[in-house]
Order: sequence, then structure tokens, then C-alpha cells
Amino acid sequence: MKRTALLLAVLALAGCGGGDKKSAGKLVIAVDAPFSRSQYIGQTIARGAELAASEVNVGGIPTPDGNYTIEVKRYDNALSPRKALSNIRRAISDGAVAIVDDGTGVDAGWQAANEAHVPIGITYDGGGGLVDLEKRPNVYRIAPTNRGIAFRLAEYTIPKGLKLALIHDDTTYGQQGGASLDEAFSRNPGSVATKLTVPAGDSDLSPQVLRARRAGATALLVWGQASTIAKVVIAARSAGWNVPIYATPSAEDPVLRQQLADRPQWLDGLTFATGRMTAELGPDFFYAFESKFENAYGVQNVGVRTRGGDAVIAPPDYAMYSYDFVNVLTQALKQFGVKDVVKGLEQVTARGANGDERGFNQHNHDGVVDDDVFFARFHDMTYAPVADDPLSSTLPTIKQTR
Amino acid sequence: MTALVERTGGALAEAARDARSAWTRRHTAAAALVALAALVPAIAPSWVHVDSVANGFYLALAATGLWLTVALGGMPSLGQGAFMAIGAFTVALLTARAGWPALPATLVAVAAAAAGGVLAGAGVVRLRPVFIAVTTWILTWAVTIFLLAFRSVSGGAQGLVLPSGISVTTHYELGLALLVAAVLVAASLARGGPGIELRAARQVPAAAAALGVPTARRRLGAFVASAAIGGLAGGLAVQLAGVADASEYGAYLSFKLFVAVLLGGVASALGPSAGIAGLALVTGAAGVLGSLEGVESARFDPMLAALLLLAVLALGGEGIVPLVRRLVGRDAERPVRRAPTVVSVPAERRPGTKPPILVADSLTKRFGSLVAADSVSLELVAGEVCALIGPNGSGKTTMLRLLAGVYRPDGGRVLVDGADLGDAPPRERAARGVVRTLQTSAAFGDLTALENLLVGMGLRREHGGAFRTAFATPLAREEDERLRADARSLLADVGLGWAADVRAGELAGPEQRLVAVAAALAAGPRVLLLDEPSAGSSLDDVSRLDALLSRLRVQGMSILLVEHNLRLVRSVADRVIVMAAGAVIATGTPADVAGDADVRAAYLGRAAL
Repeated sequence: MKRTALLLAVLALAGCGGGDKKSAGKLVIAVDAPFSRSQYIGQTIARGAELAASEVNVGGIPTPDGNYTIEVKRYDNALSPRKALSNIRRAISDGAVAIVDDGTGVDAGWQAANEAHVPIGITYDGGGGLVDLEKRPNVYRIAPTNRGIAFRLAEYTIPKGLKLALIHDDTTYGQQGGASLDEAFSRNPGSVATKLTVPAGDSDLSPQVLRARRAGATALLVWGQASTIAKVVIAARSAGWNVPIYATPSAEDPVLRQQLADRPQWLDGLTFATGRMTAELGPDFFYAFESKFENAYGVQNVGVRTRGGDAVIAPPDYAMYSYDFVNVLTQALKQFGVKDVVKGLEQVTARGANGDERGFNQHNHDGVVDDDVFFARFHDMTYAPVADDPLSSTLPTIKQTR
Repeated sequence: MTALVERTGGALAEAARDARSAWTRRHTAAAALVALAALVPAIAPSWVHVDSVANGFYLALAATGLWLTVALGGMPSLGQGAFMAIGAFTVALLTARAGWPALPATLVAVAAAAAGGVLAGAGVVRLRPVFIAVTTWILTWAVTIFLLAFRSVSGGAQGLVLPSGISVTTHYELGLALLVAAVLVAASLARGGPGIELRAARQVPAAAAALGVPTARRRLGAFVASAAIGGLAGGLAVQLAGVADASEYGAYLSFKLFVAVLLGGVASALGPSAGIAGLALVTGAAGVLGSLEGVESARFDPMLAALLLLAVLALGGEGIVPLVRRLVGRDAERPVRRAPTVVSVPAERRPGTKPPILVADSLTKRFGSLVAADSVSLELVAGEVCALIGPNGSGKTTMLRLLAGVYRPDGGRVLVDGADLGDAPPRERAARGVVRTLQTSAAFGDLTALENLLVGMGLRREHGGAFRTAFATPLAREEDERLRADARSLLADVGLGWAADVRAGELAGPEQRLVAVAAALAAGPRVLLLDEPSAGSSLDDVSRLDALLSRLRVQGMSILLVEHNLRLVRSVADRVIVMAAGAVIATGTPADVAGDADVRAAYLGRAAL
């Protein structure tokens, strides 16, 4: 009996230890990402954050509350909002001072984080409504927004006098993108030949592409997973229909190039919008970041080769966003301490991996503005900025072979 | 109102007295364990995630509901996740969109899941197990596809966010309380009449129906109860999670709950909880191993569950709880087999002179061009043993099935006490006193001998409905005790008193047949239709059966005996009807029939009656 009482007492004492944000001079940053379901995305986000943390930890973070180092903890949300909310709650109880998130479950989790004065930094999902200054004061984002991508695509394609078939797949990414395209093209309905929703799970999209052709389309604009883009390309080109094809940042995904590896000429000319990797200061900043990234984690092979036999690699552009968020967060911690970090994020900036000044303000919690979206075109399994867009034409080509 | 309160108070006091009298050290240990579990949120160290444990309780609750369908009903349902989804999204839509409070939303969720259970169950409960599995699997997919397709209902990738409700600690305590209650209710149901009948129907549906078990109704009840509990678990779990996420209710959830039931062991109501705990432990261990390799365990969760299922099946499908019980020796005590007690009764013959109880009037049954029964008529009076003999394929068993209501006749009719039974099914005929035993299936092998008899006594239960049994009301308890005492007494009468708590499957073949006859007797028949009760019996066994039948005749029971053992027929039968090729070729006393040339030619040959 005495032993039981003693055990209960010990357990009770042990239970009093949780929930403190300061833990032996370490600040926890939680990375909530789909490690088990989309390993590439999860790894990219986590590695960007971990790379930034490793650099910050060299000197530590002097804050008004003391000197700290950063510990990055991973939480797998498996693309499930329920797990994401559970992760956010757990991260808070683990003492996290911030959460780096792919965007899954932010609708459900921002409130719990806000009540604990913990900011959430979205570094992948550009969906509308995730960031809302008024309703979600603790939610920030460093990633191209769907709205920005859609408006840039409209701005780029409408002057060409094309009749577009707007195609999106039935994934959440595709559905949200379809809504953004609707909005972007709403003032120029004459540019739209047809709108189609295609099933992401179908192995052949020839019927849908044929419908687009019969509707009088002279170009295709695809918003969907990389495999959907690949299937649209295959359906159009195999039918001998050589219309221009436009796509979204998912075209960067190695999956697209892997699926078209047997017919690289079909990929040539595919143009997509994505966040730019370089700023006005040139590519050196990005190359420096890429070098550090590769030193830490190795190169990210796409799994295909150019016609000349060079191995193609994927630049760590999305890792750049989580890297930048942690650096901005560090500045906020330095100046405002742990307790005021949510509001502090609005008042600091940091040099981003591409050389830009990254930051937020009282009027904007989106760290990637629409102008940061550029257009790239594939050729020989690598891509380069297009020449017929004012912003893109000024950007250098990032080397993608080894 | 006052009287009702007084009656309820009295019933509760009586229940408390009963509980005290039945209380053992094991109950004390279980109660202490539950009390300790209730303290966990207050005393647990920070690495114990109370919300995960609470979610585990809700999963175990859903699995316990599924246990009613799988273990008791013998229906391998792979659709419990769908009912959790119905409960979850009903609560989510009502609270998040319509602004309902949590409690009424939860009650509506339970009702919605139960309604879903009625719709799905009405179709599946009559199917064979493999088709039940396929149909419920399709149901799971249908619900998942619906939720994924209709994002306005499911909230899409971000899910439906619920308003904040009760605390995690309250969820924990509620989940624990509901789980304990569900396990107790499930155990009570399993031990009571409805559970025993379900288990009997799971093994030999035709034999259960012949004893008056409303098989389809019982199975539908189990399916609906299972769905309702799934809906409750889903409705509460979604409140704990704070967000309804369609991706959580995919086919894997249903599969996982099914695996939990098998992993824990279908023999015990505690099995599903043990199964959920086992799955959680294995997943946790895999997480640790996965982290060493930098791989998230969630990537191979389904594979682990599938491997566990294979392991359980490969080890005989026993599961955790029965295995633990065996290891700690709780099932080690075996009753001592006793020498058969032959009940000696004077074989007084009282040929039928009274009005007939059962009349078969020109019964005809055709199977295509084959006439299995060709305008066969017979009568049975009280206190008469009538033997129906003939070569194989002569139509004897067809006649029994026509009389028992298994087959609908193509012509003729069956009357009991002068009333035409029409198309009355076996259960209805059993209720009117016409009970049949089966030729091939002796007893319900997974039930104890006592439980076999309790299946037969189902028709006598007045307070043994599922609700009363589940909550062990005083009337239900009193009736159950009385019926159990009667069943023990009846078992002793047939010389199997020692085997009351032995699984019938462990008894010798003739003993099993005797149990089957005793189960039929337990139904309180006036007309007993016996199909080859002495098959495979030794001389001693036949003597015992002879004595039993003779005594039943003396007690006034009418018996129609289909039998190949002519020695038994000669000893016990008052009258013999001989069939050949679907027609009656002779009728009379054993001596009359033995001398009939047609009978000798068609059936007896060199054998003597």
C-alpha cells in the first residue's frame, strides 16, 4: 500500500513538469508536415527549418528573456487536419514557440495556437482563406499564394489572345486552384474556352482533353498534381495536338519529368508559374543557400537525365520558404522575446535565401507577394525563366544539372 | 410517479445485493484498475498523451460495438468505420453549421448511425459471411467516397472545424465510463438469452431457427446496436479531435476496428479493448523503430495491422484475452467426465387414442421433376412415438422439413390442434410446440451444453429482450436464473449434468446428439421431430436414448422419429410409417410392418424389424 502511495506521489510530481516554453535554454520549433503521405514535401519543409536552426544555433538567440538555441521537432500530419490539430496541440504542450506548417489543418488549429500565443508559418499551401489578418492574427505564410499564381497566369496568358481550357483535378489542391482561376479569369471570360474538372485518379485523360479541343481551346492551363499535368500532356501530345500548355508550381515536382522521361520532347515548351528563387541581387544568394542545403542533405535528384546525359537535380526552392520563416522568427524572438513573438513577427525582416528581404507587417501576413511569381519553361528536362514576361525575363537561370 | 421511483429504488437495491453476493476478488481487481485509470489525467507524467488515450477509448468503444456483430452475430462486418463517420459528420454538421449544442447533436448522431445500421443491416444480415464482408466493405467505401466528393459536407482538405466543447480530461473520463459500460453491457448480452441465441444462429442457423430463435431479427438487432455504438463513438471522438476529417474515415479505420476485435479475441467482450491497446502498442513500437530509420510509422500502419491479423489467424484465431486467460489458468479447470446415467423409465405403451395434435394432410414436395414427398399424410397424437423409416432418399427428412416449416409444400397442409399452419416459419411452429432436431448438426459446438439448452428455452423467456438483458434488470436476472436452473435439471435428466459447462464441441458425438435433443426439449415441445438421433451411437448410447424417448412418451409428448436403427425403432415406436420414393408404402405397428412384403422388398431386405 505504501509503495502504491509513493508511486502515485512520484507520478503526480512528474505530471507537474509539462507546458513550460523554456526548456534548458532551448526553444522548440514544431514542423507539422505530411512526412508519411508526401515525403518530398515533408522533408523539404523540415530540412529548410532545420538548416536555419543549425545556423542560428551557432551563436544562439539572445532574447530579452535569455539566450536560447532552437530545437526543431517533427510532427507527421499525414495530410489529415485531425492529426494536424492534434500535432498543434501536442506541439504547444511540448513548449513550441512556433509551428512551421505545410498548411494542412490550419483552419482547425490556428485558434489553439493563438490561445497559446504561438505563431503558425505556412510554407507550402497557397490556398485562399488560410491567412486572414483579422480573424487569424497568428497565421503567417511564406509561399506563393494561389491567388497570386492565378492572377499572374491570367496576366501572362490573356494578352496572347489564347482561348484557354482551364483544367483542374479533383484533389484539394486542384479544387482550390480551380476556384482561384475562376476568380482570376472572371473579368475576361472571352479568354476561356471551357472549364474542366478531371479525376486525379484516372489513368487516361484523353476524353477530357478531346472535350477541350472540341470546345475550341487553343491552349491548356492545368492546375493539379504533377501526375495530372503529365496525363494532360500525354493525352494532348499523343493526339498530335501541339497547343501551348501552362501549369502551376506542381510542375516542378520530379514526378512530372519522371513520367515523361520516355518522351522528353513532349515536355519541351510546357510553361509553369512558381515562386522565384532569385531576387534583384542575382543568383548568388540562392546558390549559397543551395550549397549549404546540399552540404547538409545532399542533392535532390529528379531521376532523369538531359539529352547530353547530365543528371538533373531539383533546386531546393520550397525549402527556402521554411528556412526564411525560421530566420524571420529568430529576428522576432531576438527583439520581442517568446511572449510577444506573434505580434513581433509583423515588425521584423530577415534576409531571405534568395536575397530578398522577407518579412510581414500589420497589413500583410503573406511573405511572398504576387510579383514574386515568375514563369519558367521546360526544355531538355530543365527549366528556365521565359523571355516574354517582364519579371521573368530579368531572372537568371538556375543550374539544374550535375 | 412515487411508485415508479420506489420500484426503481427497490430494483437498484436488489441489483446491488446481487452484485455484492456475486462479487469476487477478480471484480475487486477490475474495479481498482478502472479507478486507477480514471486517475490518469491527474497523475500521468507529461509524456502520456491524455487525448490519445481518450481517443483510444472511443475507438475501443466502437470496436466493442463491432464485437456484437462479429463475435455474437458471426457477421464479419467491415463497415464500422462508416458508422463512425456518420456519427462524426452528423455531430460536426449540427454543431459547426447549425449551432446545435453537443449533447443533442450526439444523440442525433447515434440515431443517424442506427438508421444507417437498419438500412444496411436489413440487406446484409441474411447474407453469407463472405458477402457480408464484401457488402460492408463497399458501404465503407461508399461513405468515404461521398465525403471526399461532397466537400461542402465534409469541409474538404481542411475538414469541418467544431466549436470548442468539453475538455480533454472530461472526454477521457467520459470515454472510460462509456467503454466500461459498453463492455459490461456486451458481456451481459453475450451471457444472456439474446447473446446465446446469436451465437447459436452463427454456428448452425437452421438448428437455431428450428429451436425458435428469430435469427434475422437477432442479427439485425446486433448490427443496429453495433452501428449505434459506432455512431456514438464517432460523434464523441470528433468532438475530442475538434475537426471532422473525411480522410480519417477511410477503409483502413474499418479494417483496423475489425482487426482489433480479432486480435483481442472474439470470445470475450474485453477483447476489442485489448485489441485496440495491442494495436496501439505495436504502432508505438513501430514508431520507435521507424524513427531509427527516418521513416514515419504511419506509412506502414495498415501493413502492421494486416500482419497482426494474419498472426492471429495463423495462431488459431484465439486472440489476446483468451490467450491470457489460458496462461493464467482460468480456463484450466475441466469437469470430470462421468459414466452415462441411463434414465430408467417403465416403457409403458399408450397407443394414440386421443385426437391428433399434428396432422399432415396430403403433403407434396417437388424438386424439379423429382417428387420428394408425394401426397403423404400422417397424424400424431399425444404420448405416441411414430417412426418414419425408409431407404435413403425416400423423403423422410423432406417430410420433417415440411412439418417444421423449412420447406413450403407444393400441395397439402399441416395442422396443429386443427389449425392450418399455412406458411408459418420454423420459429412460429416452434412457438406452437413443433420442434425439430437436425440430421447432420448435433449441437452448437461453441456453446456449452447448458447454453445449448438455453437456446431452446428462448421461447420461454418473457423478460429476456436485448434491452432488459443488456442492463440486467431484476426481472431478466430472475428469469435467467430460473431458466438456467431448469436447464441444469434437464441436462441432469438426460445424464449430462456433469457436462453443463463443457463446450458441446468437446463432447462425444452421441453426447452432442443428446444435447441437441435436450435443447429441443428445452423449447417445451408437444411434438418433437427427431432426425436420426442415434446416428453413430453405441449400444449404451442407444439404450439411453431409448429410455429418454420412452419417458417422454409417458409424459405425453408426440414424437416423430426418423431413424435407421431398427432396434431402437422396434423398442420405442408405437407406430411405424415406411416411405419409399416419396410415398408411404406401409404403416402399422412394428410387428405389422416387419411382416409386410413390400416393406421387405423396398427397405428391410434381410434386416429384421
